[in-house]
Amino acid sequence: MLRSRSQVRILWTLLAAAVGLVFILPAAWMFLGAFRPGNAVIDAVTPLSWNTFWPDVWTLDNFVQMLGPLDFGRALINSLIVVVVSVIVGVAVSALAAYGFSVVEFRGREIVFGLVVVGFLIPFESIAVPLAQIFNDAGLNNTYIGLILPGIGSGLAIFYLRQHFLGIPASIREAALIDGAGEFSILRRMYLPLSTPALANAALIIFLSQWMAYLWPLLIAPDPALQVAPIALSKTFTLQTSNFGQNFAGALMISLIPAIIMFVLQMFSKQSIAEAADK
Amino acid sequence: MTTRRRSALRPGLLTILGFVGPAIVLIVVLRLMPFGQAISSSLYFAPFGPLGSVEFIGLANYVDLFTIPEFQQTILRTLLFAVVINPLQIGLALLVALLVRQRIYGKAFWRLLVFIPTTIPLVGASIAAGIALRSDGPINALLGLVGIGSQPFLTSPDQALWSIIAIASWVGIGYWMVFLVAGLDDIGGDVYEAAKIDGAGTLRQFFSITLPLLKRPLLFVLVADTVVNFALFVPMQVLTGGGPESSTTLLMYDIYRQTYQYSNPNMGAAETVILTALMLTIVAIQFRLMKEKN
Repeated sequence: MLRSRSQVRILWTLLAAAVGLVFILPAAWMFLGAFRPGNAVIDAVTPLSWNTFWPDVWTLDNFVQMLGPLDFGRALINSLIVVVVSVIVGVAVSALAAYGFSVVEFRGREIVFGLVVVGFLIPFESIAVPLAQIFNDAGLNNTYIGLILPGIGSGLAIFYLRQHFLGIPASIREAALIDGAGEFSILRRMYLPLSTPALANAALIIFLSQWMAYLWPLLIAPDPALQVAPIALSKTFTLQTSNFGQNFAGALMISLIPAIIMFVLQMFSKQSIAEAADK
Repeated sequence: MTTRRRSALRPGLLTILGFVGPAIVLIVVLRLMPFGQAISSSLYFAPFGPLGSVEFIGLANYVDLFTIPEFQQTILRTLLFAVVINPLQIGLALLVALLVRQRIYGKAFWRLLVFIPTTIPLVGASIAAGIALRSDGPINALLGLVGIGSQPFLTSPDQALWSIIAIASWVGIGYWMVFLVAGLDDIGGDVYEAAKIDGAGTLRQFFSITLPLLKRPLLFVLVADTVVNFALFVPMQVLTGGGPESSTTLLMYDIYRQTYQYSNPNMGAAETVILTALMLTIVAIQFRLMKEKN
């Protein structure tokens, strides 16, 4: 008794749908909860009905409260400042180092690169607490620089870009050197334009790690004026209250902003590839 | 002519420093210095209060870590947690990756549904899960629907750590799935065609083709996941505070607590050294295993 191919296909599809629903339902419940009156999140649970999941009353009040009196907008702006500066400086540092460790030849390069690899093998979180003490002693607590610095040293971004640069033929650089070009202008005029997608990925690595950072900002910037979004969100939350709409609104905002930026970046990088193909 | 060309290709020290200098400074300041600081601090004891003077005590903090029951349990719990959560997450991620690569309708859509939770930062996911798992929350309401009584979840010493495992997996599995799907895509379809002609069944194909050829991405996600989970901190800080009854106190959280809440930074430093050593061991093993292949 062989079942037909399409029957098998439908069975597998149903299984995939069930798995997909297990993952998406809690997220959907959270995102929808951002648009209902705060107390409705728990009040609508009993009796269990369609209304538990889907709001009967829709409101933007949670967002108004979060961005107004609860000052979450300021936290979002702090996060954006930290992320943008980290990405720009971090990509620049990583590209320079990647070029230095892949293209420029100098004595002891492999040893120095080995040191960098070993150093970055130490996961950041595991040394975050002693690092915070060092930063405190240096007076970097409650400063943007203190928040930004760990984000610009990304071993992953360096390795990733180095790997990409190694794939660019060395003859390009040698020809330019003989023509009298300096190393910096070769990096800027030849290697970087050839690496747009790799640079976008390096930017993404730095972006996400800084945007989602929690432990580090908690340690280094307790000043409310410097609070980043994840810290501000956790401050609005206690298990004892029953007004959760605002928490959901905050969670929705910090989840959506990277998604939107990623989407824009993706369009941007696709466009630049298309432009490059035109030339 | 040759010498001139050589010197043109060999940059000066200033140029070299311009390229790799910033990264080297960052690596020293952001990784090596704090690790060194943790090692040296772990050898001291600073009594609480302004009058106390710092005292060199050698390895006494480490002896305490391995002999005082509370610390012993924290280390043991951290290891057990790692042994459970990592194979669980990667195993499930692999199953989901295999599932969404079957010949099914709406492949990309189901894949997206699994991926969407990974875009929620762990703080948001923890808060949402904390609300969902309340005694009057929707999860317990659903359990009631199928006749299972209300569960305490985060408020029970037996269930709190499992609840955290569930939360971390909810936002983690979709992320690791992406790497595994990419790895599976890299395995050419012709290998399977050949196996089919030889009459190999689905299970046989999985164990003798898929798993061996997936070794590198599988190893990568397993190690990356292990590092992430050793550093798991947010759910404990936001939801349980390491409790109830220390049941969710893992090394990472205890480092924070010893340093900032119990004012015992030297013990926190000893724990930092242990945790870092644990993570480095795992990463080193990965490099070993990956090199074997090449």
